[in-house]
Amino acid sequence: MRRFAVAVIAAAAAIVLLAFSGALFGHSPWSLLSIVASGSVGSRFALASTLLKSVPLLLTGLSVAIAFRAGVWNIGGEGQFIVGGLAALVASRFGIVASLAAAMLAGAAWASIASAMRLWRNAPEVLTTILLNFTAIHLLGWSVNGPLREHAGQYPQTDLAHVALPEIGGVHFGIVIALAASVFAWWLLYRTAAGLRLRATGLNPNAARWAGIRVGAQLARAMAISGAAAGLAGGIELLGVTHRLFERFAAGYGYSGIAVALLAQLHPLATIASSLFFGALVTGAGELQRAAGISAGVATFGQAVVILTLIVFEHVRADR
Amino acid sequence: MIHLSHITKTLGATRAVDDVSLDVRNGEIVALAGENGAGKTTLMRIAAGEIDADGGSVNREGRAELVHQHFLLVDALSIAENLALTHRGFRFTTRRIIEREASAIIESTGIELRDGSRLVAELSVGERSKLELIKAIARKPSTLILDEPTSVLTPNETTELFRVMRRIAAEGAAVVFISHKLPEVLEVADRIVVMRGGRVIAESAARDTNVRDLANAMVGRITEQPSDRATAGRITAIVGVAGNGQAELAAKLRDEERDAGHIPEDRTRDGIVAEMTIAENLALKAKRWNAREAARHAERMIALYSIRASGPLQRAGDLSGGNQQKVILARELDRKPKRIVAAEPTRGLDIEATRFVHEQLRSAAVEGASILLITSDLDEAFALADTIQVIYRGRLSDPLTPSEAATRVASLMAGVA
Amino acid sequence: MYELIANSIPIAIVASIPLLLAVEGELLVQRGGIINLGIEGMMLTAAMTAAFAAQTTGSVTIGFLGGIAGAMVITAIFGVFAIALRADQIVTGTAINLLALGGTSFVYREVAAFQRPIPQLHTDIVSALSWIVAPLILGAILWNTSFGLRLRACGENPEALAATGRSVRMHRWAALMIEALLVGIGGAYLSLALSSGFAENMTAGRGFIALSIVIFGRWKIKGALLGTAIFGLAAALQYALQAANRGIPFHILLAVPYVVTLLILCGVAGRVRSPESLGRP
Repeated sequence: MRRFAVAVIAAAAAIVLLAFSGALFGHSPWSLLSIVASGSVGSRFALASTLLKSVPLLLTGLSVAIAFRAGVWNIGGEGQFIVGGLAALVASRFGIVASLAAAMLAGAAWASIASAMRLWRNAPEVLTTILLNFTAIHLLGWSVNGPLREHAGQYPQTDLAHVALPEIGGVHFGIVIALAASVFAWWLLYRTAAGLRLRATGLNPNAARWAGIRVGAQLARAMAISGAAAGLAGGIELLGVTHRLFERFAAGYGYSGIAVALLAQLHPLATIASSLFFGALVTGAGELQRAAGISAGVATFGQAVVILTLIVFEHVRADR
Repeated sequence: MIHLSHITKTLGATRAVDDVSLDVRNGEIVALAGENGAGKTTLMRIAAGEIDADGGSVNREGRAELVHQHFLLVDALSIAENLALTHRGFRFTTRRIIEREASAIIESTGIELRDGSRLVAELSVGERSKLELIKAIARKPSTLILDEPTSVLTPNETTELFRVMRRIAAEGAAVVFISHKLPEVLEVADRIVVMRGGRVIAESAARDTNVRDLANAMVGRITEQPSDRATAGRITAIVGVAGNGQAELAAKLRDEERDAGHIPEDRTRDGIVAEMTIAENLALKAKRWNAREAARHAERMIALYSIRASGPLQRAGDLSGGNQQKVILARELDRKPKRIVAAEPTRGLDIEATRFVHEQLRSAAVEGASILLITSDLDEAFALADTIQVIYRGRLSDPLTPSEAATRVASLMAGVA
Repeated sequence: MYELIANSIPIAIVASIPLLLAVEGELLVQRGGIINLGIEGMMLTAAMTAAFAAQTTGSVTIGFLGGIAGAMVITAIFGVFAIALRADQIVTGTAINLLALGGTSFVYREVAAFQRPIPQLHTDIVSALSWIVAPLILGAILWNTSFGLRLRACGENPEALAATGRSVRMHRWAALMIEALLVGIGGAYLSLALSSGFAENMTAGRGFIALSIVIFGRWKIKGALLGTAIFGLAAALQYALQAANRGIPFHILLAVPYVVTLLILCGVAGRVRSPESLGRP
């Protein structure tokens, strides 16, 4: 219960700090807050767009939660998201299922480059995953300017995917997949022996090794599952929202997953609530940009504030 | 000189030190004897000013230096650099200056340690403990406190240490020697203070007492003799001074014999996952995981291994050391493995828990398991093993019977035979 | 090809200055046991505050001072969390990067001063500073001062230093502030000398590449210089190839620095020993 309270306070602190920073630059904090509120939850349309933003955040949040639980620093959600989108587009001619499966496989494979580098060459995954993000961004840039460029050849973007996710009341079916994924992640981590081994490895790799657990295999497995979740996020975003790829396709969803997972204290089910909060924040920030000309980057700023506030509260708790 | 009066200190739920008064005069060597957990180290950390007492008063004349049981050295730095770390203030310097100063310091302490440019990582355990001693003596303390210094020393090194202690005392310092090895205590100390359960139980001049009386005071009853050996020749002990390759051997066996039961040497680091529950820790080796089944299994284990816990969902990290070890035993032994590798299975445990661990190992052997016991506690090796091998610098001696070992083990451990 | 390489060397020396200063600063703090993943955000912040200071005052010198000040402020935030609160360094560093990324893009659009002209940099002392002076000074600090010795002890076994009565935190704070000084200059150089003002996310991963080069250089100054030189040359060749337009797609060339860094990490990381207590709060 206290952990829930801490998360709520951290989220509130982020909102207050955002309004305060706006005030520093001469905006009225109240009008900023009301724009964010009406833009994210104030209307049916606003709610739907918040939900749409929450779907990829939920999946990248799960990606981070699984990796961090296993003690693996996967900061590569952004790159895995992108290759997921690329694979989904290429495979979209074979149908929705094949397309999403390709997205997961691609995300897992991209992430596994980092775990292979770690296991064979001891290269720290915290760096390799980040470097793979930049590589993926330029791979995407090349794809949409080169081999996958739309046939009309007018803009640096691809043609529409062959399939699209069905919609229910303005929200695509991906939301159901994402919710199912978080239940699956919870079941995997807390209801299976494989999950027990992943968590033990994350908490104390030495003890895990002495208990006969193959720690390297856990790392590879966690990284692959984590990458698959981020890749799936990219696939769903493509088939549900953008329907085509362009250079800024990832839009920071991968990095945002870190804040989503940390606010949820790495719990797969709490990640649902956390992704809704950040979905609203991102949507509200987009509205700020339109209505008040304020950079939508404030959403990123808000994520940082949430993480830092959580650290402060954890410290207070640890001191007692 | 130190003067402690009515010191009390509570750590967690236990009263580690309970109304203890103690004087150590200049020129005197006082031994502080007692079982693990008797409160010796806590009392001396208070005496040295490392931690504060909850009650009572501490008077020190001059500075007190406490040489810890675990080394506080930087492996990646040289002997000379480690000594230079104690230097105050900012200055420019070079490797050569540091090494020249180091050799002067080492010489002034009268302890033999050659070539100050060697990295600490390359030193033997005995040399490391010498370096710790040099660091302490170089600060010219008026009170020198040594916490279990002989546990990592060969017999020859122990003799050398005692010579240094006597000289320091003769030069006017007060020396406190914490140990549970009674023959050593009797050999070097002028006065012996025995602690048990946080209190001083007995105190006498060394010449007025003997091993048996001290041992009885330490454990509070007559010590048991090793039980009869009905283990069918299945327990092999590997003995040696710590740091001679025991950890590497255990790790190698862990990776090679994956079906065996493994009891690691460092139970908080390698044995349990502190943040997980007892049930989860017990299930780490299981093929399947079902929370309800695991809780039932854990309840059985808690009863069978008499683990003192509030229930299967208690955090393993909150258990006492002895109970953590029982959780590990339950996980590793309950599957009845054909082979068991136990490294220092009773280190840091009280007498009750030690006896429990020994019983479990014996009964596993009786039931047919072959056991490799890696230990630096010779008493433990002789109490349990049918065969003894000595490890020295990573190499194992030929197997010895306990009676052969009794005469040869000391020289083998020192690498002189 | 030979001509291409020869022409690339001067570009490499100048273009890799921000990276080199970051490598040098990060090497120092990692020797003290801290992984500062937030270095990317530090440099980005410095690039912005430097541009702001230079564009409002018209002075390059004040611009550089502004960069240093900006880097120090955000480093202080990192220090409060990573040192004072003993938070996880990777999580803290990630938060700092997000803070800087979001914060700079917000401020950039709010402040009109960023539209003013950027003052000209006349004499470039920064190349000499970063390639010659800073390495000499850092080497002397690390290997020829009592502070450096104690800092290295912080990175290997902080308990051993604490046992001598010295504060591990103060040594780490000092190293962080030196890093902030260097990264501040580097960020300022990026926005004032290498580009004409600030642009959103203009550091483009230089901080992370710097961390990789520290590993490649085995936490040694010479290794850091060598690693930066190799990387800088590869990056400059990539610019030259872009300019020469040899038919290699632009975006593939853009990915080259990151792929090179990945290869560098794989080529060497397996064989090196990092400071024993690196990253432990």
